[in-house]
Amino acid sequence: MKIIKKILNSKAFVTLVWIAVIIVIWEICATRVAEVKRTPENVLPHLGGIVDSLTSDRKINGSQSALEMVLENAGATLSRAAIGYVIGIASGFVLALLMSLSGIIEKIAFPYLMLIQLIPILGMAPIINAITGDIAISRIVIAAILTFYPVAANTLAGFKSVRREAHELMYSYAANKFQLYTKTMIPACIPYFFTGLKISAPMAITASILVDTLQGGIGLGCLLSQSLKGAMTRYVFWDIVVFSAVIGILSFYLMGLIETLLCPYKRIGKKG
Amino acid sequence: MISVAAKVNKKRRNAVQSVVCPLIFGVALIAAWQTGLLHTLLNTDEYVLPYPTRIATIMSENSDKIMANVWASVEVAVLGLIFGSILGYLIAIFATVFPKYGSGGLTIVSAFNAIPIVALAPVIINWTKDVSSEAEVRSMVAKVIVVTVVSMASMSVNAYRGLTELPPFSDDLMKTYAAGRLTEFFKLRLPNSVPYIFTALRVSVPGSVISALVSEYFAEYITGVGRQIRENILIAQYSTAWAYIVTACIIGIVMYAVLMLIEAVALRKRR
Repeated sequence: MKIIKKILNSKAFVTLVWIAVIIVIWEICATRVAEVKRTPENVLPHLGGIVDSLTSDRKINGSQSALEMVLENAGATLSRAAIGYVIGIASGFVLALLMSLSGIIEKIAFPYLMLIQLIPILGMAPIINAITGDIAISRIVIAAILTFYPVAANTLAGFKSVRREAHELMYSYAANKFQLYTKTMIPACIPYFFTGLKISAPMAITASILVDTLQGGIGLGCLLSQSLKGAMTRYVFWDIVVFSAVIGILSFYLMGLIETLLCPYKRIGKKG
Repeated sequence: MISVAAKVNKKRRNAVQSVVCPLIFGVALIAAWQTGLLHTLLNTDEYVLPYPTRIATIMSENSDKIMANVWASVEVAVLGLIFGSILGYLIAIFATVFPKYGSGGLTIVSAFNAIPIVALAPVIINWTKDVSSEAEVRSMVAKVIVVTVVSMASMSVNAYRGLTELPPFSDDLMKTYAAGRLTEFFKLRLPNSVPYIFTALRVSVPGSVISALVSEYFAEYITGVGRQIRENILIAQYSTAWAYIVTACIIGIVMYAVLMLIEAVALRKRR
């Protein structure tokens, strides 16, 4: 009995209940839509239909099934998103480091860092595509720009969070700049750094898919707009919607997982 | 006394520096752009990346048309922001009243936040096909719903923190007063959540502008700053597209400035 009670009270169970509620509502709506619409899959298909279309091996474009097609295009989009993400992380971290090292650089860069956040970068996607002339490069560039701001801002907040006592301790150890950074500043900023990573991972993916829709070729976004225009079965569209939603959410949790694996403070916090 | 004077001096020099340094950088950047140095660096031509003066000319020549599109976008962003924030706050209240299922629901809502807008926008446009027979109204409703969903998440998570992370002993004080749940809510939790509302808005105001622009890409009815950027690039009118990009940036900055102003007024007694 105790175990059952524990399961019923656990957080995972509550989340499961919510997911079940959402599925039930979806199915009720889908049944309703199926009754009144001529092409229900355009508005709201049954979840079973989406799963079917993913698992069936019926060829859609002559050579590939829906799942193969989605995965191939996802590979093209996500690999670019990942490259941009890594570049954005690296440059964001370096800028935060430089800003923390030099007051002048901080003064120059800080207002612009704020401005980047306010500028609708995704709105600029078409023009970046025109400047670079290559869709793969523009995916990387936009994913990098979007990743850059949250990482830089959060890391800088991390550097600033180091308490005065820690600085005083390092001063009394006569630590030089390098030791100060490797021993106190960088370890202190890691939790903030990961917050930045978690915020920007779904953004990098969104950006990549959006850039895809601008141009033909290979990529999730291209597939999405082709399916919307009716070039192939509408279920491909739903497959992509579900797939990108799942990937977006997973990318957030993946960063959390990496943090737990790499960082001792997370594991200790769990035990205590 | 000397040291105090030196301190004031240093402070003043710091303040001057933090205005002058970014300004020099900005002027240098625009100068590099105007003289073509930026084009060489980015390996592009003045056709794809027009000079600032050219963009400014186009903006002043087409100001009527640009303003019409600005209103279309701002309307969507603001309406969605208002609906989304109210909805998000209601969810936070629900989560406060029913902590167990409510906070689990919050996890789900914040998971919605990770769904790419690109996937969300076409779905919602499909759903709103029957709302009205006019494409303009239909698209408007769809776009507002997209912005609503996007701004809901940050508000619900932050407002929940504001409603539950109370100052120490404040709920004990409420107990000593024998305050009912309603009194506790209106006198303690609601005021406590106000700064958190602004924390949420700082995220969702730029977010609402971005999602308004992106949802325009997929909408049926062609209007709005985001859509104009795309349409003008499709017909290779890069200078006009740049005029709309600059406009989009100005919208983002102005809306954030308005938020800062409201925040300064609303929180003036707390500072």
